[in-house]
Amino acid sequence: MNVLNKTRRSFILKMGAGASAAVAATVGMARGEAGASDNPALKAALLEEEMALRQLHRAYERAMDKGLHEEVVGMFANDAEVVFNGGVFRHSQGIARLYRDRFRSGKTGGSMQPAPGFELTADQQREQVEVSADRLSATASFPYSIQVGMPFETESSLAAMARLHGEGVRTWWEGGVYQVAYRKNAAGRWQITRLEYDTLSRADYRAGKSYAQPIAVARFAMRFPEDQQGPDALVQDGVAAI
Amino acid sequence: MHRFKYTKLTPDQIGAKLKTVVETGPRSASSFSSALNGKTLKIVTQNGPTLEYKFAANRRVSVAVDGAKAVSAGYGELTLNQIVFFSHLMPGEQKGYNVFIDQKTNLATVFEVWLSSGIKQNAGRPDEFALDDREVQRQIYFGHVDTGAPAATKLHHYTNRMTGKGLHWKQDNGIETIELYVSVANTNFVELTRHIDDLSYVSPSDYVLVDDRTVIYNRTECEFSGIHTCFVADLYGVKQVGVRFGFNDKDELEYYMFKGDGQVVGQIAYLENFDDHGIKPMFAATAAAPPAKGARVTYRPVHTFPHMTDEQMHEAALKRTSAFGSGAAAQAPPQAQGLGTGNNLPFSHILVGKQFTLRFDYGPVRDYKVSDMNKLQYRNHGDAAWIDAEYRAYEGDDNLAWFSHILADSKPRASVQVAVDFTNGLATSIESHMGTEYYGNETTYRAIFGVVEMPGLEAPLYVRHELTDELVGHCFSWSYSDQTTSMHVYTSPHSMSWVIFTGAQQMGAEWCSPCIYVKLREGVYIFCQNEEACNGNQMIELLNTKASHDCGFTFNGSARGVSLGVTGAIGRHIGKFDIVDFYGPKKRSA
Repeated sequence: MNVLNKTRRSFILKMGAGASAAVAATVGMARGEAGASDNPALKAALLEEEMALRQLHRAYERAMDKGLHEEVVGMFANDAEVVFNGGVFRHSQGIARLYRDRFRSGKTGGSMQPAPGFELTADQQREQVEVSADRLSATASFPYSIQVGMPFETESSLAAMARLHGEGVRTWWEGGVYQVAYRKNAAGRWQITRLEYDTLSRADYRAGKSYAQPIAVARFAMRFPEDQQGPDALVQDGVAAI
Repeated sequence: MHRFKYTKLTPDQIGAKLKTVVETGPRSASSFSSALNGKTLKIVTQNGPTLEYKFAANRRVSVAVDGAKAVSAGYGELTLNQIVFFSHLMPGEQKGYNVFIDQKTNLATVFEVWLSSGIKQNAGRPDEFALDDREVQRQIYFGHVDTGAPAATKLHHYTNRMTGKGLHWKQDNGIETIELYVSVANTNFVELTRHIDDLSYVSPSDYVLVDDRTVIYNRTECEFSGIHTCFVADLYGVKQVGVRFGFNDKDELEYYMFKGDGQVVGQIAYLENFDDHGIKPMFAATAAAPPAKGARVTYRPVHTFPHMTDEQMHEAALKRTSAFGSGAAAQAPPQAQGLGTGNNLPFSHILVGKQFTLRFDYGPVRDYKVSDMNKLQYRNHGDAAWIDAEYRAYEGDDNLAWFSHILADSKPRASVQVAVDFTNGLATSIESHMGTEYYGNETTYRAIFGVVEMPGLEAPLYVRHELTDELVGHCFSWSYSDQTTSMHVYTSPHSMSWVIFTGAQQMGAEWCSPCIYVKLREGVYIFCQNEEACNGNQMIELLNTKASHDCGFTFNGSARGVSLGVTGAIGRHIGKFDIVDFYGPKKRSA
């Protein structure tokens, strides 16, 4: 079913749940061309792009679940940035630092079920993909429910022994919404140009626990290279500070 | 403990000694069996070698590995039920094979063992080091005897069935050990006949299930002599046959087979999910696939423990001596620094408003005056001047104070952890200071016993707190926070081990230390351990087994200075081994 949103000069395609069984409703949107709904070819092309972006996001999630951080880094444009926990990781080097180093050592980013009592609302779970009419850029939001962690910063024997198990990481649960921007490169492949972890809640939860408490996590306070796995910039009052 | 002076044997020295036993094969106090005499066997292993054997009389065997030219060596063979076990070395190499064959099923488990491995630990990192050449390496292969029939699909496999079990073994050569298999990847063992102090050690181990009553086991004394012990056990008859191979603490080559009789001394709970059978070994679960040959979960603390002299340590202490300072270092047990200790008991005002004298037998006499929850005054009895000190106190049991402070201006830096029983007039002090004869940055402790004198309290003349073995054999998990739990195994009157859990509640990495136990009251104890030849840290806890809670202090030093901190945890009693009667001079002289 097509719904024209004339005030935004774009149209909304209500896709239903077919694109993702986990999502109650998904929305696709193309900006700029009110006539898209009258243009079956454009409409089909936009739908195709939207599907490609959803697939890219699913591939991102699968790679994160499997710990394939190199594959994840390869999904970003060279000039991309990722905003995570008050830090901005820029360009290929910064993004590699976040995924290869910080996320890998912290066992961060893999999907996990929401902490009990912290489930996202239906609105927060809504996926949205908006493709520009020229089909060269897009924005999207996808809900997430992931494990986040931080290695124990200690040389104590318990931490050293835990590392022998591949552990020694303090983990918790985070839920929120990925705010993503995409751009199509010269080869016609979609790449992520910006990804923000818009965290809505955190809890001291691990799989199997029957309850969870909210927790506070300190935002990044140091930039790279002072923090070897730190961001290139800090977000202060919503603005990235260099 | 951990203080044997091991020679760094060179590959040439090792090779020269192995040469003397390649032809003879292993010794055995019991008669060898001859089940394989005259037989030819081809053993095919999964992802491992194919071994073609021809067994002759007089304990000679020819073996061809992966189709190479056959070589001849001496071998030894023992049987246990349907299992035939044989061991031999390879001429001209520093390796050999220990082979277990189930004659009913024709399944085989093969241990390749070798020395002078050249294996690098932490390869490519700043803390890279090479394993000692004398450390026996092992690789386990599962396979079958090729009889021409279709290959078996279900082979022997790793298991967690032994986890939590404890056995006392007595071998045919008189060697007695207590072996506590409390981890899926380690053994905590006490050599009752080899060493005089009944100290327990920890070594990485593997456990292989043959059938419901039969298990194959090995341990290698990594970080110690590097010697390897491998056997098959029948848990119905509680018997073993096996081999010991490697260099002992006197640098002697031991290569002998043995039979042994056992006694199950207990079974503690193992806490992983009921559908987890331990089929994937811990080293494989954590390694990049496939794990490197010889991989195992081995904690090697002394390799990363920097050596400081007494003077260096004191210089650092002069720059910074912290008592209950802010930050993680002061808030966690030695094993858990930085990991949080949210489950500690609250501090107590039990001492506030009190003035008393602690008179220790043949030891110091100290006066105390306390008017604050965090600061006290003390002096050596007879001195005029009081000394101010930061302290923390708990009420570990009714009217039982447990507190600690630094001894001001001490060299080496010293602290005291003191239990004062205001009901019974008794006091115990753990007197701790930096430095051992080996490291300036290790701690030393001793317990002294005495009385508390104050108006209205009668100090006993004869009754004292005393060292105890009541906790020996017990296992408690201690959860310092929701993120950090360690199980303590109180293995012997003077030593313990600790095991940490994986996320799946498997008991995994394990290490050991000397310790002492003091009984304060029924169910209330002081437990004091020093992570000797590890990181030198000391943990001094009051254990209240009635409440399943502990509370206490940490004392440690490094280039960053000396730190006195607090710690505490919620406990769970995981089980008990009935082993205390094995210890002590009475046993040895019997």
